[in-house]
Amino acid sequence: MLTYTDFLLAMPLFSLTVTVLLIIATEAARVGRARFSQFLAITGLLVTSLLAGLNLRESGVAFQGMIATDAASSYLTILLSLAGIVTALVARPYFEHRDAHRGEFYILLLFAIIGMVLMASANDLITLFLGIELMSFCLYVLAGFERTKDKQNESALKYFLLGAFASAFLLYGIALIYGSVGSTNLDAIARAYAGISNQPLFLLGTAMLIVGLGFKVAAVPFHMWAPDVYEGAPTVVTGFMATAGKSAAFAALAIVMIRTFDIGGSTTADVLALLAAASMVLGNVVAIAQTNLKRMLAYSSVAHAGYLLAGVAAGTAEGFAGVFLYLTAYTVTTLGAFAVIGWHERTNDEGTSLDDYVGLSQHQPVIAAVMALYMFSLTGIPPFAGFIGKYYVFMAAVRADLTWLAIVGVLTSAVSAFYYLRVIVMMYFRERDGEHIPLPRIPVMIALGITAALVIVVGVLPSTVLQLFMPAM
Amino acid sequence: MTLEQLMFYGLGAVGIGSGLLVVTRRNPVMSALSLVLNFFCLAGLYLTLNAQFIAVIQIIVYAGAIMVLFLFVIMLLNLRDERALSDRLSARKIIGAGLAFGLLLQVLYILMSAADGFPQKDEALAVSTGTVEVIGVQLFTTFLFPFEITSLLLTAAIVGAVLLAKKKLD
Amino acid sequence: MIPYAPLIVLFPLVGFLLIALAGWKYRSERLIGIVGSGVVGLSFALAVGVLLEMAALPSDARSWSVDLFPWIDTFTGTAGSFGISVGYQFDQLSILMTLIVTGVGFLIHVYSIGYMHGDEGYWRFFAYLNLFIFMMLNLVLANNFLLMFLGWEGVGLCSYLLIGFWYQKTFTGDAGKKAFIVNRIGDFGFLLGMLLIFKTFGTLEFSAVMSGASVMTAGTSVAFWIGMLLFIGATGKSAQIPLFVWLPDAMAGPTPVSALIHAATMVTAGVYMVARCAPLYALSPDALLVVAVIGGVTAVFAATIGLVQNDIKKVLAYSTVSQLGYMFLAMGVAAFSAGIFHVMTHAFFKALLFLGSGAVIHGMHEEQDIQKMGGLKKYMPVTWATFLIGAIAIAGIPPFAGFFSKDEILWYAFSSDLGSPALWLLGALGALMTAFYMFRLVYLTFYGKERFDHHHVHPHEAPKTMTIPLMVLAFLSIVGGFLGVPPALGGGHIIEHWLAPVFAPAQRTLMLSAHASHTAEYILMAVSVLIAVGGIYLARRWYLEHLDVPDSMAAKFAGLYRLLWNKYYVDEAYDAAVVKPIQRLSDAFLWKVFDMKIIDGAVNGSGWLAQTAAQWLRKVQNGVAQSYAVIFVGGILVVVSALLFF
Repeated sequence: MLTYTDFLLAMPLFSLTVTVLLIIATEAARVGRARFSQFLAITGLLVTSLLAGLNLRESGVAFQGMIATDAASSYLTILLSLAGIVTALVARPYFEHRDAHRGEFYILLLFAIIGMVLMASANDLITLFLGIELMSFCLYVLAGFERTKDKQNESALKYFLLGAFASAFLLYGIALIYGSVGSTNLDAIARAYAGISNQPLFLLGTAMLIVGLGFKVAAVPFHMWAPDVYEGAPTVVTGFMATAGKSAAFAALAIVMIRTFDIGGSTTADVLALLAAASMVLGNVVAIAQTNLKRMLAYSSVAHAGYLLAGVAAGTAEGFAGVFLYLTAYTVTTLGAFAVIGWHERTNDEGTSLDDYVGLSQHQPVIAAVMALYMFSLTGIPPFAGFIGKYYVFMAAVRADLTWLAIVGVLTSAVSAFYYLRVIVMMYFRERDGEHIPLPRIPVMIALGITAALVIVVGVLPSTVLQLFMPAM
Repeated sequence: MTLEQLMFYGLGAVGIGSGLLVVTRRNPVMSALSLVLNFFCLAGLYLTLNAQFIAVIQIIVYAGAIMVLFLFVIMLLNLRDERALSDRLSARKIIGAGLAFGLLLQVLYILMSAADGFPQKDEALAVSTGTVEVIGVQLFTTFLFPFEITSLLLTAAIVGAVLLAKKKLD
Repeated sequence: MIPYAPLIVLFPLVGFLLIALAGWKYRSERLIGIVGSGVVGLSFALAVGVLLEMAALPSDARSWSVDLFPWIDTFTGTAGSFGISVGYQFDQLSILMTLIVTGVGFLIHVYSIGYMHGDEGYWRFFAYLNLFIFMMLNLVLANNFLLMFLGWEGVGLCSYLLIGFWYQKTFTGDAGKKAFIVNRIGDFGFLLGMLLIFKTFGTLEFSAVMSGASVMTAGTSVAFWIGMLLFIGATGKSAQIPLFVWLPDAMAGPTPVSALIHAATMVTAGVYMVARCAPLYALSPDALLVVAVIGGVTAVFAATIGLVQNDIKKVLAYSTVSQLGYMFLAMGVAAFSAGIFHVMTHAFFKALLFLGSGAVIHGMHEEQDIQKMGGLKKYMPVTWATFLIGAIAIAGIPPFAGFFSKDEILWYAFSSDLGSPALWLLGALGALMTAFYMFRLVYLTFYGKERFDHHHVHPHEAPKTMTIPLMVLAFLSIVGGFLGVPPALGGGHIIEHWLAPVFAPAQRTLMLSAHASHTAEYILMAVSVLIAVGGIYLARRWYLEHLDVPDSMAAKFAGLYRLLWNKYYVDEAYDAAVVKPIQRLSDAFLWKVFDMKIIDGAVNGSGWLAQTAAQWLRKVQNGVAQSYAVIFVGGILVVVSALLFF
């Protein structure tokens, strides 16, 4: 039976759905222009995060155990809404500049966020899968949003082909797990886990789950799509899928691996640790060779997936907290960085190369300073957000007896300094000879302000953030 | 060998064969028709499991609607023989085939070794769950939420398809 | 004053925020200078107040710690060791370092008012300097490793920004990057050391770690590795072998920066850290031996390079590396307070020397080559006098400050249970060369023929804001040593007494025996004075009286000279052994092998990639995506095998 609580717990989902239907209706009726859709989307996302905020201290399952709302999922809903708001803010100047500002963008953006919220609050493998598909589908289309651009078409098609490939494995994994447990409900699987965790069938299912989700988070060796897709997609979309998409996938991974499977110390944890180490090493080392900023951040996002996987591999509550904190840090930082890139990019797709950033600090000191802030945060320099995230996942790894993984992490983040700082060197320590780029428009400035402030707030007051999603602590 | 087993092996063999044809035929129409055959075999397998509803849906939706659409598209696009694209036997193909075969062996090995652990087929249960009524009830009670989410997925798909396919955007 | 002690840290932050947020709009040099220097002066005054009140307390009550707010929360349900507060520890050691940082820092801020006059980035410079002081204070006052690491990274960041301050010169940007990257290698050691400490003691609070260390058995390999890893961090920040390469390049930054960051304060952070972790190091005499040997060898090694350099700041930079070596030598023989004493005196005379060199460069219109100077004594008498005082102090002539601290280190290197005559010999050799190259510098710069072009260069004395700090520092370089007159000379050694309670636990663990006789101490003292005088005499003979000697020597020992002139080719070696291979690995191997786009495109047929985008469909069908799928399947194979078959 459905009760009042069911709907209460799913309020953020409803508000997102209502918003998206409203936008579809107004678009269809041509009431407003794309700007009106943007306004609706931002309002809807604000309401959603407010509702999710009200749910922060609630917990329970709804709709016959299909979704579970708790502090972590509500927190992630807020984070995803934030990513949506920042993306929506940046999208208008970006697409208007390219003459491609259309309301469909916001529809797909919101649909994607619905999928992500489902992933973060899934309590059943079916809901999880539907969430992933909803998110992925919207991202495929968004990656090729400007239809006339071949680069974007290529990006979208590649993402779609490989994504479908990965989804097939994910689904196969779900089927195998259903076969060995007899249920797709995460609570039921959690209860059965101790008894079946060594069964080959179940392990094969787990492996397929890791493969499918590993693709979504772009972990080595399932990362191949990321550089091409990140580079080809419109920059605002890249920023969104690199942050919100990764956050949702990691939330799902953490929920399944830590909460449901309790993998701490098992072979599954070792496999995840292996993928984590490979991602850190490959992502960071290859990023050094990149000269295009979008591509560099793509490899960097592979590396960050490695750090996050270290938290998942720890398999403890600390690892769980570490993953969520890291996601927060990574999301706010990377969103900001992509907002800067999107502003700097020219209509003909130029302006994303590292050389284009030469001497930026002389023309736009504020933007350069903000970008430097993001780069420092990504490098993991205290007291910025990125450092806190790394501290948590590495400490969690150490306490879960994965010291070697923490060592790899520390070593590779030392390597990462090389390419992040190159951006700063370009901006600060070189003479400008390129064209002058005007200050970003107000929405972009707001987006930069929000993310930059959060980079510092999360870095200085991580406990406050932690208490939001871990109320018991 | 019981009739059921005979059905299973027969349909399975045809299914695999037609699946292979899908990826090896150079003529896209041939591939599409092989896929239809493959769907029919799958529907037959569902039937042997007493899953009538799925079997019917498989034929109506996949073999009927979707594949017809496929064929329309192929014929409208008038694709030529794709020999040019598939002739070369590159290292990638060999490695890819090798890896896929390795994966197949792995999965087979695991399934074989885990065969004892499989739940046995429960005839009565199978009969009672495969019907349209039971599925309908399930879909609108326990699985109501995923069902509704599917509607969102479809809406998103429509928006995406319109966006990508519309001739002229305003 | 004591309740307000945390404000010491806060003032520079306020200054930084004020200047950073408003400075670029209101570019009043006067206001920026006053705010920038004022906040540091306030911190200094407050630190003096705290010191006075602390001195009035009984010696066991002179250490306390203040937690301001929880930084990282603990997890309930697990051992409560995850959490870390932003908290400051005030004790005899940290307050002394605070005084050095804020005191010397204040003088250098004042000096910068004059030095940076008219620079376009005036506000930026003061903002960075204030941020630096804030970070440095976090480093020395932190009560846990994590906050110390914040400061550690923060000062590195500021140093990086300030080295590259004049980005118009390409070289400065590269130097900044080099400094940062080399330091990251050191930080890697520091972080790993922190992880190991966390794993061993379950906490990162100094007090808990140190009390944990005091009950641990000595000589375990864990203690050794903790010591080593932390020391790797120290070699990065304090420019010791093998990570010293960044410091000489760092001289590309403005001179006040060289004085403040790369001589007086930041580079001594490694020494401070070792001193702070003395109880940990006491657990592993092996680790201490490594510290001592690296310190001693660096002292000599850097001094030999300093012998032949012609850039006034480069000489001072290698001298700094060498002097830092002395400090680590002191740490390594468990003469912790002697090392800190040298940190203090070195801050005085090296800041003086750098600021003096800044005045010279300023007066010579940005000329840094000492071969193009000479005879400047009559043009800039104040600079000359103060520079001479600094040189005498660093050479180790009594009763100047350097004599007492250096002599004490040499004495411990010889007499301590952990020391040996060989370590003493290294120190003595370094002292000889130090005296020589410092006076080579003095003679070539201020004496002899005027080798500059009178038409273009008109040497002049620096303005008041620059000479007054010089005079103050010169005064400190003369009297600073009296804080540490050893008992053998009838002094009370105030510094050692003051710091004794801090190092007592370490000394207890080490159980060192009493020192040798005063007679030996007198003899060594006399020897070291003789060495210093000898070095000065040699410099005078070669660079003032017989000017042909250096050239004929250079010709005679051409190979050696080239080796020294090229700094033992260390940079080139690192480039060939580390930098190039990593770049090649990234560029040629990982990227190109793993990124199939390159395999399928650029490498195998560069025209392929350049084909018009209209053929994207073919590209997708024929190449890239399938390759990705192949890798993907390989990945599945690996995951399944790892999960099921291992």
